[in-house]
Amino acid sequence: MSLTLLLEKYDVSTEEGLQKALNKIEKEEAEVDEALSNALSRACTLEGRLRTASQAYTKLGEVRNDAQVAANMVDKTAALAKDVSAKVRQLDLARSRVAECQRRVHDLIDLRVCSAGVETAIKAHDYETAAGHVARFLSMEPGSVAAARARGVADPRRDMDAAASTLRDHLVRKFEEASKREDDTAVERLFKLFPQIGRAEEGVDLYAKYLASQLESAVRRAGAVERSSEAGAFAAALTRALEAGAAHVERARLLLAAHAPAHTLLPRALAHLQPKVCAGARRICADMMSARRAGEAAPAGDARAVEPPLCELALAHERLQLYFAFLRKRPELTTNLTEAEKEKCLAEIEKIILECEITRVAQDVLSQYLTLERYFLEESVNKALKLSSAQSGATGSSLVDDVFYIARKVIRRGISTGSVDGACAVLNEAGAQLERCGAALRRRLAAPPPDPLPLPPPPPHDRPRAPPRDDAPRALYLALTNEAESGAEWAEALAEQAVREAEALWRGAGGAGGAAGAGQAGGRDKLRSCAAGLGAAAGAFRAARDLALAALRTALLPALTAWAHALVDPDTDDDELSEEAGALPAALDVLADAARAQLPASADALLAALLADLLARAEDALLRNHYDRRGGLCVERRVRRLATWAGGNAPGARERAGALAAAAALLALEKLAHVHEALPPAALPPARVRDVLARRTDFKLEDIKRLKL
Amino acid sequence: MEDYKFLFKVVLVGNAGVGKTCLVRRFTQGLFPPGQGATIGVDFMIKTVEVDGEKVKLQIWDTAGQERFRSITQSYYRSAHALILVYDISCQPTFDCLPDWLREIEEYANNKVLRILVGNKTDREDREIPRHIGEDFAQRHGMYFLETSAKEAENVERLFMEIAVDLMEQAKCKELPKYDGSLGPLNGKTTSVNDSSCCLRS
Ligand SMILES: Nc1nc2c(ncn2[C@@H]2O[C@H](COP(=O)(O)OP(=O)(O)O)[C@@H](O)[C@H]2O)c(=O)[nH]1
Ligand SMILES: [Mg+2]
Repeated sequence: MSLTLLLEKYDVSTEEGLQKALNKIEKEEAEVDEALSNALSRACTLEGRLRTASQAYTKLGEVRNDAQVAANMVDKTAALAKDVSAKVRQLDLARSRVAECQRRVHDLIDLRVCSAGVETAIKAHDYETAAGHVARFLSMEPGSVAAARARGVADPRRDMDAAASTLRDHLVRKFEEASKREDDTAVERLFKLFPQIGRAEEGVDLYAKYLASQLESAVRRAGAVERSSEAGAFAAALTRALEAGAAHVERARLLLAAHAPAHTLLPRALAHLQPKVCAGARRICADMMSARRAGEAAPAGDARAVEPPLCELALAHERLQLYFAFLRKRPELTTNLTEAEKEKCLAEIEKIILECEITRVAQDVLSQYLTLERYFLEESVNKALKLSSAQSGATGSSLVDDVFYIARKVIRRGISTGSVDGACAVLNEAGAQLERCGAALRRRLAAPPPDPLPLPPPPPHDRPRAPPRDDAPRALYLALTNEAESGAEWAEALAEQAVREAEALWRGAGGAGGAAGAGQAGGRDKLRSCAAGLGAAAGAFRAARDLALAALRTALLPALTAWAHALVDPDTDDDELSEEAGALPAALDVLADAARAQLPASADALLAALLADLLARAEDALLRNHYDRRGGLCVERRVRRLATWAGGNAPGARERAGALAAAAALLALEKLAHVHEALPPAALPPARVRDVLARRTDFKLEDIKRLKL
Repeated sequence: MEDYKFLFKVVLVGNAGVGKTCLVRRFTQGLFPPGQGATIGVDFMIKTVEVDGEKVKLQIWDTAGQERFRSITQSYYRSAHALILVYDISCQPTFDCLPDWLREIEEYANNKVLRILVGNKTDREDREIPRHIGEDFAQRHGMYFLETSAKEAENVERLFMEIAVDLMEQAKCKELPKYDGSLGPLNGKTTSVNDSSCCLRS
């Protein structure tokens, strides 16, 4: 605070004011002193820092000088290195030029040797040496030849070309001579010279033609069918012919594998060989198909007679597929091919397969097989149906056993054709026939015989039991119901089995896709979907079973209704009560024993349904009757016994039996007020409780209405 | 279990070269395949479509037209829910063969199968069969009729969608239990598979 301000603020005219001003001044003085000493102490630290900084500065200068020196040195080294590497490059160049010069010198020397040598070697019949010379010439750099010409030497190429072509003529002639002699060793030796003189393709053509002519006679020999009546004779001949074809293809492959470009040479050779295989296979298959036509093969509708031809046709088709698979595997086995070459090679082979005659032949064989298989299937199923309806008793073989035996056999045979389409078509046909059997069963199960299952009537037994009837229709009906049940299960099992067994289609053939017209995944889906079609057959059998069980329920309904009335009958004699309460469980035991013995698979479901029928009718009757307490007690006792029986024998109906037992407990109440003790919680809805209580003649309606439930 | 409510089998038949494979590819893959080979035997494609918010799986069987594949293709008729009979509007012989195809269908297919006549290749300038001729034929034989172009994607989607809608309506009518006596179904299951023209429920 300045003095002026001080003077303004404090009244210095008074001592008091002066004293105040003085105090103020003293206070400020003390503050200033403190600030000063603070500043002084800081000055000390600052000084220290300044000293350190100036030291660091000097050091930095030194570092900078060192760095400069280092940078200069690096620059110099780099310049030196550049110099050295340029020199090394020059050296390299010089060396490679020297090498080239040397090669040219060799070439020039060889060139002279070659053109002279070819002639001499040909004269000496030393074709290996001659071909070696030509190969050497072909491998020479064009530059060498040009250089030779530039030096005034007569153009050596003309001589060499002439010599090479003479050699080629000689080789072709020799090759043809060796072929005539069927001298395999000479043929193979001569073939190996063609790639050397730059004519690999011509060599392959010659060699493949040679093989083809050998193959032609091999196929003719192999395909001879002596006893055409013998089962499988044609398929055996076809197998031999295809094996001969495969052997020749493999011979060509082994020889060609060593010569570039092997991936085009192999299909080229195959193009010569395949027509011979086709001609042989087509002839055999044509004979087979005319000998094994349905008309000739199956006299007078005897389905079993067509089985040998069926097996033969399936086998023949499988052999054709196997042959294709064999061809498709060849590129993979040629290990010195690159992946791209293998692919190209396979594509070429695939094209040959697609366009060759036996692809068509295979389709025709499959078509005839399927036509005949359909005939076999239909006839066999017809026979099984006829047989089973002729049998009046449940003895002998069952319809379901028979038709599934047939279906399984046919599906296996379909898979054995090696064709996805064949297997699928057979699955479709088998599904159709099984569905037909299911429908036939359904028709036969539409009307059950009287008393299909025993259920003793309720007491009093005043009506004498009808004299025991012929048991046969009843047994047959129950047997057929069982068949329907197992038919459904078998159809599903058969579908699974077919899918499993059809895996062979993908394991064996290196891509059954070719014949299937779809990739492997597509083929699998297709087959799965056709196998799933057997589900429709399962449905037909299940419908037949359901119909039978419903018919059984209908047939038992009168007896069950009588029991339902007896169960809730209000006027019963007390004395007989204990015996009488056991009558229904005893009757049900008879029914259950019979059902379990004769309908083992459906018994539980059937008993539950029958009990449900009984309980529903008992509930209805109960709500129409009137009870006193004594009557109610009787009902309760009977129903409790029934509920116990249901608990042990028909778990499916337990809940419903419990509800009836709860209702019966209400009928047996001593007093209306006990209703809560008698009733397990939530056993019955309140409205139903009131309805039941209303059946007691001694309970007042207004009391019932007033109950809190 | 897959996520669909209905499964329908649709089978395409007709002479080789009328464009069955192209129709199927157009519908399932949305493309017009350049120069693929003739179909061998039977090909199989799947497409799931939605009708009224419900998933419908169409299993489409594309058959080879040639005679030598007949024994394979015939085996697919029976379980078909819909049969598409295709001819080429620019090729009279493919139309002339229709009665033969109908005989096949009569013999092997379910008589309640949904049948659709399709005149394909409407994009071509050289039409030989006027639209009304095809329409008349379809009407006389109780078939639906549609002209399509697989190349220009004309009516292809519509063809398959109408089939899906129609089959679904049929299927819904049949959802009632089979046995209609006074008693309910035995174990709560309703079986309608036996009814040959009905769909398989998933
Ligand atoms: N212009 C035209 N050509 C088509 C059409 N559909 C198919 N094609 C051609 O007809 C030929 C046979 O077709 P494809 O589908 O293989 O007939 P498919 O034998 O019935 O399956 C092919 O060359 C197709 O390109 C179309 O809608 N228009
Ligand atoms: Mg096609």
